[in-house]
Amino acid sequence: MGNPIGFLEIGRVNFERRAVQERIYDWKEVYKNFPEEQLQAQASRCMDCGIPFCHQGCPLGNIIPDWNDLVYRGQWQDALYRLLATNNFPEFTGRICPAPCEGSCVLGINADPVTIKNIEVTIIDRAFKEGLIRPRRPMVRTGKAVAVVGSGPAGLAAAAQLNQAGHWVTVFERADRVGGLLRYGIPEFKMEKQIVDRRLNIMKEEGVMFRTNANVGVNVAVVELQREFNAILLAGGATAARDLPVPGRELKGIHFAMDYLPLQNKRCEGDAITDAEFITAKDKHVVIIGGGDTGADCLGTAHRQGAKSIVQFELLPRPPAERAPDNPWPNWPNIFRTSSAHEEGGEREYCVLTKSFTGRDGQVSQLHAVRVEFEGRTMKEIPGSEFSLDADLVLLAMGFLGPERKGMLEQLGVGINERGNVTTNPQKMTTVRGIFAAGDMARGQSLVVWAIREGRQAAKFIDEYLMGSTDLP
Amino acid sequence: MSKMGISTLQSYRGAQIFEAIGLDQNFVDTYFTNTPSRIGGIGLNEIAQEALARHRRGFPTRSSRLPDLDWGGQYQWRQDGEYHMYNPDSVHKLQYSTRTNNYKIFKEYSELINSAGTRLCTLRGLMDFRFAEKPVPLDEVEPAESIMKRFATGAMSFGSISKEAHETLAIAMNRIGGRSNTGEGGEDPARYIPDQNGDSRCSAIKQVASARFGVTSEYLVSANELQIKMAQGAKPGEGGQLPGHKVDEVIARVRHSTPGVGLISPPPHHDIYSIEDLAQLIYDLKNSNPRARISVKLVAEVGVGTIAAGVAKAHADVVLISGDSGGTGASPITSIKHAGIPWELGLAETHQVLVQNNLRSRIIVQTDGQLKTGRDVVIAALLGAEEYGFATSALIVSGCIMMRVCHLNTCPVGVATQDPVLRQKFTGKPEYVVNYFRMIAEETRELMAKLGFRTIDEMIGRRERLDMQKAIEHWKAKHLDLTPILEMPTVPAHIPTRRVHAQDHGLDKALDNLLVELAKDALEYRTPVELQLPIRNANRTVGTILGSEVTRRYGAEGLPEDTIKIRFTGSAGQTFGGFLPKGITLTLEGDANDYFGKGLSGGRLIVFPPSAATFKAEENIIIGNVALYGATSGEAYIRGVVGERFAVRNSGAIAVVEGVGDHGCEYMTGGRVVVLGRTGRNFAAGMSGGIAYVFDEDGDFAQRCNLQMVDLETVENQQEEEEFVCYLIRRHAELTRSPRAQQVLDGWQDYLPKLLKVMPLDYRRVLTEKKAQAGRTFVMVQHG
Repeated sequence: MGNPIGFLEIGRVNFERRAVQERIYDWKEVYKNFPEEQLQAQASRCMDCGIPFCHQGCPLGNIIPDWNDLVYRGQWQDALYRLLATNNFPEFTGRICPAPCEGSCVLGINADPVTIKNIEVTIIDRAFKEGLIRPRRPMVRTGKAVAVVGSGPAGLAAAAQLNQAGHWVTVFERADRVGGLLRYGIPEFKMEKQIVDRRLNIMKEEGVMFRTNANVGVNVAVVELQREFNAILLAGGATAARDLPVPGRELKGIHFAMDYLPLQNKRCEGDAITDAEFITAKDKHVVIIGGGDTGADCLGTAHRQGAKSIVQFELLPRPPAERAPDNPWPNWPNIFRTSSAHEEGGEREYCVLTKSFTGRDGQVSQLHAVRVEFEGRTMKEIPGSEFSLDADLVLLAMGFLGPERKGMLEQLGVGINERGNVTTNPQKMTTVRGIFAAGDMARGQSLVVWAIREGRQAAKFIDEYLMGSTDLP
Repeated sequence: MSKMGISTLQSYRGAQIFEAIGLDQNFVDTYFTNTPSRIGGIGLNEIAQEALARHRRGFPTRSSRLPDLDWGGQYQWRQDGEYHMYNPDSVHKLQYSTRTNNYKIFKEYSELINSAGTRLCTLRGLMDFRFAEKPVPLDEVEPAESIMKRFATGAMSFGSISKEAHETLAIAMNRIGGRSNTGEGGEDPARYIPDQNGDSRCSAIKQVASARFGVTSEYLVSANELQIKMAQGAKPGEGGQLPGHKVDEVIARVRHSTPGVGLISPPPHHDIYSIEDLAQLIYDLKNSNPRARISVKLVAEVGVGTIAAGVAKAHADVVLISGDSGGTGASPITSIKHAGIPWELGLAETHQVLVQNNLRSRIIVQTDGQLKTGRDVVIAALLGAEEYGFATSALIVSGCIMMRVCHLNTCPVGVATQDPVLRQKFTGKPEYVVNYFRMIAEETRELMAKLGFRTIDEMIGRRERLDMQKAIEHWKAKHLDLTPILEMPTVPAHIPTRRVHAQDHGLDKALDNLLVELAKDALEYRTPVELQLPIRNANRTVGTILGSEVTRRYGAEGLPEDTIKIRFTGSAGQTFGGFLPKGITLTLEGDANDYFGKGLSGGRLIVFPPSAATFKAEENIIIGNVALYGATSGEAYIRGVVGERFAVRNSGAIAVVEGVGDHGCEYMTGGRVVVLGRTGRNFAAGMSGGIAYVFDEDGDFAQRCNLQMVDLETVENQQEEEEFVCYLIRRHAELTRSPRAQQVLDGWQDYLPKLLKVMPLDYRRVLTEKKAQAGRTFVMVQHG
């Protein structure tokens, strides 16, 4: 640690956001540039703890104290290598990860944690700018082929790692573009898609092959995979969304978030989408059901589309401003947070249960809800607290239950566990020999950073399965 | 390197000071002949395997990673590096369970520590229990309250840790009837006064380390146990060091030292060069507080059994066998690993040797070294320990998260720092520590029930209940053989295997018993008393028990000067006037042996040759070596030459002598010494405080003075100082009728230019700062 008293001298400084009135009119990144010396000062706050809790808190095991110190000393390239040793896609996590590392940061015990995420993204962005990120082709090819189903962060991480180990990897993606949720779930303003394309181009140059519009179990037969490949990795995500089967659900204007968000992303990429196909919040009263990140993504998108009003409902109570006693450090702090989308407007209401919808001419026009209270984990409706409000567009962002069971999973015959995810053993193999699973498909809905970890681990075990031993980390 | 007093590379070669843990005997015989390796282990095959694994990592057949070095994780924890038993999971669970008093989460913590994979980290992890066929019902097992009385916290000085952390431990241990330890930093006397709510911050164990920081009569009298630190388990053969930036005003005051000056305690005590010397110190301390138990802290190493046997014969009440794990985060890297050996080996050997020599019955054996759970306590008991020390874990419970920046004074949780801003962030509470020990005691009880034991006493040394784990799969561990530890000593059944009676310290034969009787009125009513008695060299540690009686009644203030005046004639034994408090004046017409005025605590000592003597006092030795060792206040007027190491570690006493041997005023941190004659070599080595005045008649003193930390000045144009020195010499002349003193006084104007002032650089800096602040001139009153 370069400066032992850095944490005493310097306070935490976040990246600045562009003014709301400016940023809601475009789809570009919300953050302004941050001067490099200031970032190095932020890196000096790291105390290089004897037990780095951040390193444990990070699902990837990023060697955070090391690269913080290297950044402080201006050794950017060494910092890059340290970072890439554990993270395939720091440019993604540095933008969209909720940063469990910061939740575990020792400084966070009684002060503001180190701005680990900002340091991470600066290391990688700078490296790209200086042309340091170049394709690395493996020394030796093994002659083995691996099929990866799903091109989200889990599938991509696995593909990158397996390719480095020398295998021929083909990634199957059922959508028209590669990236999974990175491409179509996360709005452009949270992560511009050119960031994704930049990385994919490198992977292509390294030898990874991609097939889009390739829906395994629908227009690509599972038997083709079983025949042509030595191993299969299922990384199709947990895309079965939780529904709200209440009266009025069938009305038009009520959509799953993952039907709404990709359309805007496609328009941002320049696709021609007719207004009839498009779902827009323009001039509408929007209600978003679900207080999580997906809900916030809908919020930011709806702002930029020119919604008349937006309300976001969450079933659970509002989290406290500070850690609750049963949520101690170093666990992830479950506290009230205001994202950039929340800053831009809209209201949040907690403890709301939607009971029904009513409409006009088959189109939703009102939402009816009731307030609830919790005793421990039991929910009770508060009598007499029913209320209604105008709703022209309702977006369901209530989370995902697990992978889609019908189709590929059924056809492959892999076991499903009691939580609804694909069953895997500690080596990530499913109940069918030679078929592995990773990411949300095996874990249930989770974070991008976990997906990357899952992909890396699956790659290690697949490599070991194919070759008898592995050097992958 | 530079451990165990070895200073040259040459001395390591052929010294055979290493012990191997985990190497096969054949392998050691071939390549490290005569190195002890008691539990067997790996050989060439395993070493080859490891070398190949490293090679594969460095030269992979398929380059699947960016070139990078294995980050190891030896000192800073890394997820896939070296396994540490204290890792984010275990630290979190330990803290959370003790803060919320949640036994279920505590069991999760111990499960992490006791789990199969973790157990490969320690020797005790490789052992299994032989449970009883019929377990005992849990409610018939000794209650937690009585088990907790066997717990102690380790010696962590105030100075290395903050006041808040130190006091939290003291309060907690006092609440449960266990013992906390001052460490070697002395203790603020304010802590001897109980709190409003009845809590006591007084540390039960007061440590006496080589530097004798703050070891005054009051300190000793306030203790429940006095611990002589022979070494530290975690860094054996090295001393302690407190960097200067951690020594603030308060620490300096408590240690009787100078703020901003680094404090070093070298490993050897200046008064211990043999086992007899240790016995003398044990006797001295027992006299200084007859109610306290005297313990000796030893380090686990091969041969510690023999040393422990010596310690038992030297009448120590407790011996602590300290293992290699743990220790401060401020340790040098070379000390954190590969120094010391696990307590299991040291304890097993100690218990074995003591039992075989029928010494076990008179001494309590305590052990420490990263004890963490009830399982550890039970294994320690089965291997022979009656008491158990915890240090790191108690600090973690108080908030420590093992940052390992203890030496930088930047501990962010206020545990190991003196920075007032950071100390505010301390969140530990005595309740947490109490919870911790109670939960350890409960775990211990659960295991005791399964083993069929109702009391700890019946468990001591019952190592037949331990077995080496049968199914050790790990390729490196499976060649270990723990039989040497688990072997039962073969002795007749009637030989006790734990402490059953107290040591006989022989205090009933002390001369002081008579002195106390004769000085009764002074003790009760402060009536001045004058006594005259003969003395012989078999009368050791004279004045100390008497002194303890004064301190017990009157605290640091003592009695008014000269309340008790005793005049002895004859040859005094060792430690004449040890720890003598204010109010007692001992005059000796004759001579004395070593350790004269050891730990002088405010009293006055006067010695001169018999009036009938025909030799010149100023040319002859009148007292032995190591006089005034660790003196904290008081006066000594010695008409004659003194031996070596005079006033070593003096932190506040005033002395006038007529000649000193080698190493005079070594490590002095306060006080004033006037030498009316010649000095030996290496005067003022390590001197960081106080002032010495030497009459350099031959003009060669500079050659014999160690000038590394001091400057030589004159007292010309310093009128108050001149007067002060003159005053002292006049007192010396009055009290000892010294012709030499008279000579100097008569020819004062001639002698004055030869008077050299030995001024420590650090001390001068601090005094200049003080002067600038106070705007006052240097006054005689400053005794240091």
